[in-house]
Amino acid sequence: MKNKIAALTIAVSLCVSPLVFAAAAPAVGTAAAAPAASIAAPAKSAPAAATAKAAEAPAAKVTPNRGITIGMFAIIIAVTMGVVVWAAKKTQTAADFYTAGGGITGFQNGWAIAGDYMSAASFLGMSGLISLYGIDGFMYAVGPMFSFIAILLVIAEPCRNAGKYTLGDILSFRSSPKIVRGVAALSTVTVSIFYLIAQMVGAGKLMQMLLGIPYRVSVIGVGALMVAYVVFGGMKATTWVQIIKASLLMGATTVLCILVAAKAGFNPVTFFTDIVNSSAIQEHVRMNVLKDVVPKDGFNYGQRFLEPGLFLKSPLDQISLGIAWALGAAGLPHILMRFFTVPSAKEARKSIIIALFLNSSFFFMISIIGFGAALYLTPQSILAVDKGGNMATLLLAQHMGGGAGSLGGDIFLAFICAVAFATILAVVSGLVLAASAAIAHDVYVNIIKDGKADQHLQVKVARVTSLFVGTSAILMGLAAEKENVVALVALAFAVAASGNFPVIMLSLFWKKFNTAGIVSGLVVGTVVALSLVVVSPVMTYPKKVAADARKVVETLEKKVAGGAVLTDKEAKTLEKSKVDYEKNKDGTSMVGLDKPIFPLKNPGIVSVPLGFLAAVIGCLLFRDRRAEEMFAEIDVRQNTGIGIAKASDH
Amino acid sequence: MAENDNVSWEAIAGNSKFIELKNKKRNFLFSWWIVSTIYYLLLPVISGYFPETFNVKVIGPINFGYLFILSQFVVAIGVAAYYAHVANKDFDRLTKQLIDALK
Repeated sequence: MKNKIAALTIAVSLCVSPLVFAAAAPAVGTAAAAPAASIAAPAKSAPAAATAKAAEAPAAKVTPNRGITIGMFAIIIAVTMGVVVWAAKKTQTAADFYTAGGGITGFQNGWAIAGDYMSAASFLGMSGLISLYGIDGFMYAVGPMFSFIAILLVIAEPCRNAGKYTLGDILSFRSSPKIVRGVAALSTVTVSIFYLIAQMVGAGKLMQMLLGIPYRVSVIGVGALMVAYVVFGGMKATTWVQIIKASLLMGATTVLCILVAAKAGFNPVTFFTDIVNSSAIQEHVRMNVLKDVVPKDGFNYGQRFLEPGLFLKSPLDQISLGIAWALGAAGLPHILMRFFTVPSAKEARKSIIIALFLNSSFFFMISIIGFGAALYLTPQSILAVDKGGNMATLLLAQHMGGGAGSLGGDIFLAFICAVAFATILAVVSGLVLAASAAIAHDVYVNIIKDGKADQHLQVKVARVTSLFVGTSAILMGLAAEKENVVALVALAFAVAASGNFPVIMLSLFWKKFNTAGIVSGLVVGTVVALSLVVVSPVMTYPKKVAADARKVVETLEKKVAGGAVLTDKEAKTLEKSKVDYEKNKDGTSMVGLDKPIFPLKNPGIVSVPLGFLAAVIGCLLFRDRRAEEMFAEIDVRQNTGIGIAKASDH
Repeated sequence: MAENDNVSWEAIAGNSKFIELKNKKRNFLFSWWIVSTIYYLLLPVISGYFPETFNVKVIGPINFGYLFILSQFVVAIGVAAYYAHVANKDFDRLTKQLIDALK
């Protein structure tokens, strides 16, 4: 029965998807202004000068060859659906569903974890930032890469040894299981849903920008595939989709990076000398970034591109983001869950080493691609397509393949688009699985059913929950089209770093830790992180939007007053800015503010210490002798892995 | 559950081999974690508060900042490789000895 349903899904998605894509044909080129990637808000902070410049430039856009691109999308859908059918046959028990029965090797899991890190944000967003702001963009690579150290040293092996399926399993060892599981599930669902909505909105915008597929169609299409992967294939399918995507992405990145390096004769000094001497880059840094209308005497604007501070202006914010990365990634439930899919701590260790190696290579290559895009395409032409620079990788692929319109360029661009599509699919599936596991395993099986549910029922509940979570994600993605999703990613990381990470650490390593500590740590960490983000500069402040719109209106009206005739595009911009101004001039942010109260975009530097503090204070206020006595068990388990095989009937 | 009742966690926790393993692990993990975190946080601190340090050219136009970012990659991989080496050699051996001794 199950197989029939899975087969039907393939048939339906194979037939329907290309049709839906094709039906959306005429809309190509409505270059969406919002960044597809969610790494930062480059579009918003792009200098006004750049905006004006982009407006003057001819309407540039990425134009993938629809036929080839849709063909490649279909291949990816077909292959991944094949994986789902295969995985569905092997998914019989709850352990199969949540952890692929522990049957993933360290090597495979390393690729899957690496895949979780290679999101559209890093693949498209980071290279774009580098192509526009030089070395500042490259600094973004260090946080994700370094986060593996915390995971490797203090999280992966202990969690593999002591855990089972979810965050709740690790935390509920020596505490009141129902309360702790409830809070842990709530935190898991919060983090995963925030991240998920951001990815869904990114997916919709990306497909809209690349192929002109309407936003709603892409969100529903991506959502339907994601639900099919998780509901039928569980962790096994989710892992393999992630592995396939990671290999495609690594392959594409390697080829592109080698092509760029070959152009510079594989000599880094030549490469960077060319960048410094590029007149386009010099002009971009001078006019668009630093806005020196009159060049400063003797100032080397090309070298400035390789120096920090063009994009990142607030050191404190950088430190705060650094903390969020270093600890937050270790507290993300969908990453945590991957350690349970390998059979032993040794394999968990191996998987992190492999993931670290893959991701370091990936981020390094992305930096070469970003600099290469600046050098060979010029920042001006990247800005003309997208203000956030998100199209840099795609444009470079097209250029390296032989240029727009050439067969090589079309194929390479189509391939990169298809990889970007696969990337989104793989990342969202892992998130749906993590959120579903928290609801089905922690809330339903362990809280409602007291852990008394047979395998058949557990799998059924897990599938129904995934369907529910996936559908909710689609609906929320549709509703959030116009929302500022950058804040959601900041939120997910802040909550993971301030709520989840402290309580995981303390549960594993501190004898006195107990229920009260877990609850107060999770609640305070989450609430503080949430409240700080809500009043931080990442939210949208209508009065600021109005002020920006007003500036554009004034500039353009001055131009008209000076006797100049506006181009069509400028006239449209003027109209739009007037509307924006009227719409926003009396507005306030979501919580009724005119401007941010908290100065940093990332709350980590405040919320992480508070999360730890709350966990410690809560625990010491309500001492629990039983929890202290039971520390021996978790201590032995997490250090040695004794009892790991019996974890299945725990 | 029934099988787990036979395991005396307190007895294992008091075993000298276990204590040796646990202490070795803790000392290693936390000291390397702290050291590497300090090195990692130097990046935003230096680039944010002492940006001129990053601007010093080292090889042609390649400056200290770029090399420092690359060094973060090297340090992370180095720490991970060293950990894997020690874990494969010492921690796994001690764990195996402990499990054998319990049989």
